[in-house]
Amino acid sequence: MLIGIDVGGTYTDGVIFDQGEIKASTKASTDSEDIKGSVLRVLEQLLGARNPQDIQRVVLGTTLVTNILATGRGEPAGLLLLPGYGLPHDAYSISPHTWYLKGAVDFRGREIEPLDQKELAEALRAISAKGLSRVAVAAKFANRNSKHEQEIREYILENYPDIKVSISSEVSGKLNFPRRAVTTYFTAMTLSEWNKFADEIESALQQRGIDTSADILKADGGTVSLASSRIMPCETVFSGPAASTMGALALNRDKLNSVVIDVGGTTSDISLIIDGEPLYAAKGAVIENHLTHVNAFAVRSLALGGDSPIIVVNGIPELSPIRQGPAACFGGQVPTVIDAFNIHYALNIGDAEASQVKLASMAGDHALSLDQMTAVIVEKVTERLMKAIEEMFSQWEKEPAYKVWEVIHRRKFELQQLIGIGAAAEAILPPLAERMGVHLFMHKYSAVANALGASVVRPTLSVQVHVDTAANICTIDPGGKQAPLPQGAKTQLEDVKALACKYLVGIGGERGMGDYTGEYKFFMQEQFNTIRGYSGSGKLFDVGVQVKPGFIKEYKGVRS
Amino acid sequence: MKPTGILFFPAFDWAISPTHPEREERLLYTRDQIFEEGIMDLPQIREYEPGIASHSDVARLHFCIPDVAAQVTEAHLISAGSSLRIADAVMQGEVRNGFAIVRPPGHHSMTVSHGNRGFCNINNEAILVEYLRHKYNIKKVAIVDTDVHHGDGTQEIFWDDPDVLFISFHQDGRTLYPGSGFLDELGGPLAYGTTINLPLRPRTTDTGILYALDELIMPLLDEFKPEIVINSAGQDNHYTDPLADMAFTAQGYAKLNSRLAPDIAVLEGGYSVETALPYINMGLIMAMAGMDYSSLREPDFNPVRFQESSGNLEYIKQMVDRQLNAFRHREEVINANRKKGDDFFKSQRSIFYDTEYISEDQRISLRNCNKCGGFRIIDSSAQHHDGKYYTAYCISVPFWACDGCQQEARSLYADVLRKTPNRQVFLQDRPANQFRCYDVETEKETIL
Repeated sequence: MLIGIDVGGTYTDGVIFDQGEIKASTKASTDSEDIKGSVLRVLEQLLGARNPQDIQRVVLGTTLVTNILATGRGEPAGLLLLPGYGLPHDAYSISPHTWYLKGAVDFRGREIEPLDQKELAEALRAISAKGLSRVAVAAKFANRNSKHEQEIREYILENYPDIKVSISSEVSGKLNFPRRAVTTYFTAMTLSEWNKFADEIESALQQRGIDTSADILKADGGTVSLASSRIMPCETVFSGPAASTMGALALNRDKLNSVVIDVGGTTSDISLIIDGEPLYAAKGAVIENHLTHVNAFAVRSLALGGDSPIIVVNGIPELSPIRQGPAACFGGQVPTVIDAFNIHYALNIGDAEASQVKLASMAGDHALSLDQMTAVIVEKVTERLMKAIEEMFSQWEKEPAYKVWEVIHRRKFELQQLIGIGAAAEAILPPLAERMGVHLFMHKYSAVANALGASVVRPTLSVQVHVDTAANICTIDPGGKQAPLPQGAKTQLEDVKALACKYLVGIGGERGMGDYTGEYKFFMQEQFNTIRGYSGSGKLFDVGVQVKPGFIKEYKGVRS
Repeated sequence: MKPTGILFFPAFDWAISPTHPEREERLLYTRDQIFEEGIMDLPQIREYEPGIASHSDVARLHFCIPDVAAQVTEAHLISAGSSLRIADAVMQGEVRNGFAIVRPPGHHSMTVSHGNRGFCNINNEAILVEYLRHKYNIKKVAIVDTDVHHGDGTQEIFWDDPDVLFISFHQDGRTLYPGSGFLDELGGPLAYGTTINLPLRPRTTDTGILYALDELIMPLLDEFKPEIVINSAGQDNHYTDPLADMAFTAQGYAKLNSRLAPDIAVLEGGYSVETALPYINMGLIMAMAGMDYSSLREPDFNPVRFQESSGNLEYIKQMVDRQLNAFRHREEVINANRKKGDDFFKSQRSIFYDTEYISEDQRISLRNCNKCGGFRIIDSSAQHHDGKYYTAYCISVPFWACDGCQQEARSLYADVLRKTPNRQVFLQDRPANQFRCYDVETEKETIL
C-alpha cells in the first residue's frame, strides 16, 4: 500500500493507493501554523485500523518551505556576495543583511582578483555582532570555480564555529548568479526548520510502526528521500501543482499534448503536458518574487476557483477573488462560481435549490434575470481560463532559441485534450473544452489526483557536468565538486557523457534512488572548440543527464 | 520606463569554418557572462526570441545572384530576421530601444551579393532600414558604424540615398581591411554629404573616439534629424581584438552607446571572444537600459594604460572640422551636380570578395532626377567559386523615389529584358514592394 499526502494552502488531501485502486481518501483543513500536525492528522485518518506494516511508501508534498518564507519565519541569515565587475550592487536586493566582498573569477573559472582577507574579517565581525548564526555565500562564476566560496567557508569554520554556512556552488551549478544567490539564501533560511520537520516526521512514522521512510515531493514532479531533502529544502516548494500535474499524468498516460487544469476552491492551476511530458518553467521557480534555480513545472495560477464568490459591480456580474466559504449548494452564505454553473447547466450539484435562491436574490437586487446572471459568469470563467491557456501556449512558443536548428524547427503547440483535476473541475470545465474544441478527460479519481500523483511518482535527479579540457577540469552539479579529467586533453563528447552518467549513478546512490538511476536521458549535449590564434586549444563541454519525472515501477495505472 | 529589448542569437551551430573567427565559440563567453549576470531577469530587460527574415525582406535590399537561396543559409535569415524582430519591438513601443546580439554579421555585404565578403553575405542593418521604410513608412535613418572595419557594404548600399546618414569611424583603411572609408568618400552625386567617414589612426583610445562622438557624430545627428538611429555595433575597436589594432575599452563602448542612445543596435564584428566581447556586450546592454555601468571592466583593465597623444587628438579635430564642413555644404554640392550632370551619372568599379575569392565588375548608372535621389542601375558580372560566370542587370527603385523615377525604372525593366546580353534582369521595386527577376535563358520571371 502507498500513501500520498498533498498539503495545499487550504486543504490537505491524502490517499491510500493499492493494486490500482484508491482504498481510502481523506481531506482536512490545512493549519498553516502547524503543517506537521496537518500531515499527521491526515496520516492518522488514512491508517485507521490498517496494519502499518503494509505501508510500503509514504510521499509528502508540503507547503512548509513556501510558508516559512512567506510568513517571515525563516532563520535570519547573512548574505555574502562576490559580484565581481558587472552590474551595480543595487541590482541585487535579496537580503537586508548583505555584505559585498572583493574577489572575482571569470567564465572559464580563472581568478581575476583574490579575496580581500581584511574585508572578509570585517564582514564576519559585523555578522557576528548582529547575532546571525547562518551565512549564505554566493560568488559570480562560483559554478566554474568555487575557490573563494570555499575559502570563506573555511575562514568562518575556523573563526566562528557557531555560524553555519551555505555556499552557492553546492546549491546549483547553473549560470545565473542572482538566482544562485537567492536559492542559497533561501536554503540557509529554511534549513533548520525543515530539518526539524524531517526529524518529527521520521519519528512520527516510527511511532506508528511504519517501516518505510518518507519521500518528499519536489517542484520538478519527482521525489527525494526525506534524508536527502535536508540538502536543499527549497526543492520542495510548489509541490501542489507538481502533485496535480503528475496526478493527471498518472490517470492519463497517453503521449499527448494536454492542458491540466486543477480547479480548487480559490484558485485554478494550469500546467502543460507536451507529448506526454510536463513542461518546466524556463526560468525556474519564482519564490517570494525572486527567480530561483529550483526546477519547477510551468504553472499559471488564477485567483479563480469553484468557491470564488459572485458579486455585482455597476450592474455587471463579476467574480471576487476572495473566498468566503463554500458554495451555496454546499451550505455557503454567498453564491459562487459553482452555483452559477450548477444552475446554468442544471447540474444538480448538492443543494441546487440553495444555488437557485441565492443567485436569484442577487440577480433581483440588480434588476438582472437569473439567466443573464449565470450566462455572464459562465462566459467570464471560460474566457479567463482560455486566455490564460493561450498565453501559456504563446509564451512556450516564444522561448528564446540559441541555435539555427531550434529556430528552423520552431514549435507550435497543438492541443489534444484538457485534463480536469480537483473537485470543481467536472462542473466548470465542459464549456471550456467545448469552446476550445477538444476532449475533456475526467476520471473518477480526478478529485484526489494530487494525492494519488504524490503516492506513485518516482525519484528524479538531474546532473550536469561542465568540462574545460584546456584547464583539465570537470565541474559537477549538484555539489559543485571539481575533478581532473580521466582522459585529459583527449576528452571527447562520449567521454563526458559517460562521466555524467557515472556521477548520476553515484549521486543517485547516495540519495537512495536505487536502480531508477538506470533510466536516464540526456537533456543537454553541447561542445565548443576553443580556438586561439588559428588552431584548437581545447574543448568545452556541457552535458546534462537526468532521471525524468515518471512513476514507480509498481505503478501500472488505475483500474477503470 | 519601458524596458530595453535584447535578442541574443549566438548561432551555436553555425560557423564559416571550424577555426574561422566567425565560429560557434564567438558568443559563448558572452552567453556565459550575460546569463551569469542574470541580466535577462532584470525588469529593465525584455528578451526576444529570434525571427526569420523572408526572402522578400532580403530581396528588398539585395540583388542576390542568382537568387536569395544561393546566397543565404538559414543562419543568415535568422540573423537578419532577428534584427527585424527587435525593430518591430521598438517600433511597436514594447521597448524603449533594442539590441540584436546576433551572428553572422553583415556590414561588408553590398547591394549586389555574389558571395561572402568580409564574413558577410547579407547586410542586416541595411535590410532593417528598407524594412522600416516598407512597414513603418520611415524616411530618414542614421546608421553609425562603430565597427573597427570600414562599413563598406552599408556605405555602398546607401551611397546614393540622401535620406540615410551613414557615419563610420574605423581604423584607417591604409592599415586594415577593407582598405576604404577615407575622408573624401562622401556619397553619390545626389546624396553627397550623407556618407561620412572618419579613418582613425591605429591605437586611438577612448578619449579620441569619444571626442569624435561628441564633436562630429552627435552634431551630425542633431542637424540631420533622423527618425531612427541604428548602431552597427562592431566590437573590434577593443584593445584586445586579434584582427585590429585600436585601444578602445568596454567602458568606452558603454559611454559611446549611452551618449549615442541608438534606437536599435545590431552586433557586427568583434573577435576577441574571451577578453572583450563578454564585457562590451554587458556594457552595451547596461548603457542602453540606462543602468549604472561604472563597475564594469575587463579583467586586465588598467585605467592609465592607454593615453591619447595630443598629436592624435589634434589630427582627429582636423578631420572632424573637415567632415562637419562637408556635411553642412552638401546641398550646394548636390545642386551643382544636378545642373552639370547628364541624364544618368555613370561610374564603374571592381569588388573583391575576400572570403570566397570572387571578383565582380560593376557598371553603375544613377538617374539624374531633380525630384528625388534617382533610381540606380547596377550592371554586374562575376565568376563564382563554382566556376560559372554570372551576369545581372539590376534596377533598384528607392522607397522614396519620385513617380517619374518609378515609372521610368519599370518601363526600363520591361524594355531591357528583351535585349540584354545579361543572364538575369532584376527590378527591385521598393515602392510596390515587388521584387522581380527575369531569367533570359529560361524566359522565366520570379516575383518575390
